[in-house]
Amino acid sequence: MNKRLITLGCLTLALLVLAIGPAWAKTIRIGLMCPLTGSWASEGQDMKQIVELLAAETNKAGGIDGAQVEIVIEDDGGDPRQAALAATRLTTKDIAAVIGTYGSSITEASQNIYAESGILQVATGSTAIRLSEKNLPLFFRTCPRDDEQGLVAAKTLTSLGFSKIAILHDNTSYAKGLADEAKALLEKDGKTIVFYDALTPGERDYNAILTKLKSADPEVIFFTAYYPEAGMLLRQKMEMNWNVPMIGGDATNNPDLVKIAGNKAAEGYMFLSPPVPADLDTPEAKAFMTAYQGAYGSAPGSVWAVLAGDAYRVIAEAIAKTGDTSGEKLAAYLKANLKDFPGLTGTVSFNDKGDRVGDLYRVYKVDANGAFVLQP
Amino acid sequence: MEEFFQQLTNGLAVGGIYALIALGYTMVYGVMKLINFAHGDLFTIGAYLGLTLLLSFGLFDKIGPLAAVGVLAIMVMILVAIIGALLERVAYKPLRRSPRLTAVVSALGASIFFQNTIMAIYSPKFLVYPHDILPKMAVNILGLDVPIIRILMFLTSLALMAALYFFIQKTKIGTAIRAAAIDQGAAKLMGINVDRVIMLVFCIGPALGGAAGLMVGLYYGQVNFSMGWMYGLKAFTAAILGGIGNIPGAMVGGLLLGVIEALGAAYISIAWKDAIAFCVLILILIVRPTGLLGERVAEKV
Repeated sequence: MNKRLITLGCLTLALLVLAIGPAWAKTIRIGLMCPLTGSWASEGQDMKQIVELLAAETNKAGGIDGAQVEIVIEDDGGDPRQAALAATRLTTKDIAAVIGTYGSSITEASQNIYAESGILQVATGSTAIRLSEKNLPLFFRTCPRDDEQGLVAAKTLTSLGFSKIAILHDNTSYAKGLADEAKALLEKDGKTIVFYDALTPGERDYNAILTKLKSADPEVIFFTAYYPEAGMLLRQKMEMNWNVPMIGGDATNNPDLVKIAGNKAAEGYMFLSPPVPADLDTPEAKAFMTAYQGAYGSAPGSVWAVLAGDAYRVIAEAIAKTGDTSGEKLAAYLKANLKDFPGLTGTVSFNDKGDRVGDLYRVYKVDANGAFVLQP
Repeated sequence: MEEFFQQLTNGLAVGGIYALIALGYTMVYGVMKLINFAHGDLFTIGAYLGLTLLLSFGLFDKIGPLAAVGVLAIMVMILVAIIGALLERVAYKPLRRSPRLTAVVSALGASIFFQNTIMAIYSPKFLVYPHDILPKMAVNILGLDVPIIRILMFLTSLALMAALYFFIQKTKIGTAIRAAAIDQGAAKLMGINVDRVIMLVFCIGPALGGAAGLMVGLYYGQVNFSMGWMYGLKAFTAAILGGIGNIPGAMVGGLLLGVIEALGAAYISIAWKDAIAFCVLILILIVRPTGLLGERVAEKV
């Protein structure tokens, strides 16, 4: 009898501990899905560093309403199949919301998985238009959309006075989308598109393409794909002694572009991009730059990783203000109540589709020292 | 017409690299009937080792560009050869008696291992060889300005291929390699140490791949951990095109693939460049299933 009582007592105690335990050490888990391996690994590792840094700051300041934040990271490898697996794993880990990811086609593979589990998703570098046209109420993104960039690109090319334009993309959904968008707008404007084609990313030798481009004799090349290829093109263009100006899309906003091309070849290259924190005067951006410098000893790589930081900050803000972690409540807050939130890349507000609103794009130019200079 | 010749030189420059890497595939296949999928990553290792050695010894300032490239090439080739031999010892030798599929899976595993090791050691970012270490002169050939470096690169790959060809055809060790390629059992009975032959093949192939990596690094400047994938795939295609297992076939296949790509890009469409190259491959394989020079089964290596 006595023995039984003790057993019962122990069991009750164990149950009590189980029930109360989580309430004592309450943590909020936020997922981060990013390409830690694969060809975008450098972006993903930057995303991880930035989100971890911001979460550590939150925790040092007492957490969100006293609850500590824990970042749960899954690697999507920059590959849609791996992203679907990563998303499925994250949905089982009791996360309040998920940040990520970089590539549009990668995000697309994960969207429905999060939507079905009722998890708020804030993408960071996925600019393809269709992602927010699917009627997924829990999907947000901190980056602008390609149609906005296409508009800015057409405007910039026109205001610089170019009329014979070559467009080069790389057949990824992002780059081709932007190229198509810009082409349609420019043609409506009466400009001549003398060249429109795609290169194969990941190659080293683009002389064949440059030779063909040169025979089309454009006044400017608009390149919509990524920075490694842009760097190689600039370098090989200089070796050909061909001085045509080149303008790129926002995926070329990476300091490695200049490293690859060399200062001489990169000088004068222009690209469109949301502003990097170094160019913003807001106290948030300045504090972030100091903190990043202190933690990792260098400036953050590209704006895309910083947008992951913004994703983290809006999620934390929504959780703090609503005191809730359900996807619907957070989404409702972000759509209706979050207005002009001071982000690391300017003010953040979302429209009904979950797209970031506001005039985000700036024009940058590379100077003789290889620095990116914001154009007025 | 000028554009045609320009594109022809573009294609030959790329094709020379393909050919050099294709030799590694073809030699290993000849002796072991194994597609060494890690070969593209050995090429990457060559590019990275070249960068490390170049930066740590500062050779270019001390002994001038030409000698520096020579010393660098020898060091890289030796190191990559050692890595190749180790790879054989660890990943393939224990599977000598297993079905061929097992070895192929092991090769894929080795490829993933190399890629991630390089990423872990050197970071996933793009690394860049110092700019302006090579002379930028160009010579005028038939009205075309061709950079001297490209000519040198092309000649170097031809010289390496020719040296390999004579080594295989004219020396005693070369004869042993050819014998092992035809029939390992019979070669053993003739007193040939087949294990050592395989080890040697795994030194020569990777050494050439490493040299190609160094050349790509020096000329194009940009290296990253996944660069071997694209080059490996193209070189593998080149090896098939020329007839896998056949050394002159790898050279012809590589150069041809480079030229087809450049001309396809120039006259049809850049976006369809790879599709065109693979269509040509399929057509050639329909007409000649063993590849362009693949009929001399008895002489394959």
